[in-house]
Amino acid sequence: MTAADRDPPVLPAGLRERVLAASLRARAVGRPVPGAPEISAAEAFSRAASAFYALLCFLSDDDWRTPVLRGLDVQGLVGHLIGVENDMHRALAGDPEVADASHVESTQAAAVDQAVRPPAQTRADWRRAADRTLDLVRSADSGAEVAMHGTRLPLSALLVVRAFELWTHENDIRQATGWAASIPDTSTLRLMTGLAARLLPHAAARAGLAEPVDVRLVLTGPGGGTWDLTVGAGPSVPAAVSIVTDAVGFCRLAANRVTAGDLDVHVTGDPGQATAVLAAAAMLALD
Amino acid sequence: MVTYSWQDPAEGTVIATPSQLCLDDPSTAPAISEYCPAATRRASVQGVGGSDAVLAARLAAGDDHALAEVFDTFAYSVYRTALRVLGDNSAAQDVVQDVLVELWAHPDRYDPAAGTLRTYLTVLARHRAVDLVRSELRRVARQERSYRLTPAPAPAGVGDELLAAETASLVRAAVQLLPASQRQVVELAYFEGQTCREVAHAVGIPEGTAKSRLRLALAKLEEMLDRELLESS
Repeated sequence: MTAADRDPPVLPAGLRERVLAASLRARAVGRPVPGAPEISAAEAFSRAASAFYALLCFLSDDDWRTPVLRGLDVQGLVGHLIGVENDMHRALAGDPEVADASHVESTQAAAVDQAVRPPAQTRADWRRAADRTLDLVRSADSGAEVAMHGTRLPLSALLVVRAFELWTHENDIRQATGWAASIPDTSTLRLMTGLAARLLPHAAARAGLAEPVDVRLVLTGPGGGTWDLTVGAGPSVPAAVSIVTDAVGFCRLAANRVTAGDLDVHVTGDPGQATAVLAAAAMLALD
Repeated sequence: MVTYSWQDPAEGTVIATPSQLCLDDPSTAPAISEYCPAATRRASVQGVGGSDAVLAARLAAGDDHALAEVFDTFAYSVYRTALRVLGDNSAAQDVVQDVLVELWAHPDRYDPAAGTLRTYLTVLARHRAVDLVRSELRRVARQERSYRLTPAPAPAGVGDELLAAETASLVRAAVQLLPASQRQVVELAYFEGQTCREVAHAVGIPEGTAKSRLRLALAKLEEMLDRELLESS
């Protein structure tokens, strides 16, 4: 908008403050419209598991042989996820061996083992493993820390991470086999964007962001919201930058499936700093 | 294991390692353009504020900076529109507040495809201002009617006598327009000062029926006098 579009500032004194205060009494900052029913992290994981299983049920035998990721075909990737569920069961039981285990290496055997099995068996085994996870988390304290594959997170946060992972791999398979991309339901997406936003400062730390930046992150569309975060570190006064982008696109960025350059991003402040922050978001994925 | 902490208003401080939102090597992952149709558009990093659609999306996401931008850009148009209708500075400010609170509380009611945000807000302002005028007219009419139907204390002068005579004339004219059965009970109750029981006895109807006829008659009188006063306003 150009300056010429703006109206002359001749409004009565105090009106701006009064109007903004009245508005925020009607709706709090960061609360998206339309809203979505709040769900538990376990429910989000359950929904992601259901969506993943539904896709597996539609795959042909040829689809199961399609290469997807890290040299794995679809069946191998599902085998990898069986391994992840098994490690999660051990983590929930407090097994220290899975706390620092490599996410890829510790599940590689489960992935390779699938090659000689019928796809239906792999699918059924994954479903059983995911159901076992759900059984275990229902009786667990959602605030208890769980250590697994180099992470230590409250169970509720870990379940959102797991929902994130299932949705990401579901879309890996969808793309590889020619199915349209999927978007999580709004309640699940809201949990995913909330977690990714809160973890952004840690991603920036991993990325080695040198200058401190006060970020207003605005994720638009269903499942979006607004977050104020300080990322980076250093003695200087933080610069301020506002980043506006689509909620689903940001989740794909955080899963390292797209780059910042793939997204439509609207920025106020230094575009270079905004680009650095968005690049850091991709560090949320440990590869 | 490296750990970090972050402050979560809902959960307090919790400890976490960097999250693993997707834990596999994406180097062989599919190209984004193939499964993220939005990404096939050319990516952009641009200034905010050039598009009503972006402002609307930010409002929906709960970005109060967007609301401040809306105020700074459009509030004067809203204020001017309301002032033109109302002719009152304070009431026009109230309209500005009502319109922006409405936009913030229900941003999804604005459809960028249907028109500009400026048009949407000024139309809202005009409707709200006209509603206020109507509401004020009704209030004044009610006040006036109440004044005219209430027996005045002894008139202090010629002017008061004239007003009283005019009011009585207006009310009597309205009573004459009532159906006969309702006119009869009104005349007995209000012009002759009878109680409901006496009216019922005089007319030969049950007391409940007398009350019911009086209620109906008064409702009609209100409507007629309202119309009279509104038309003369």
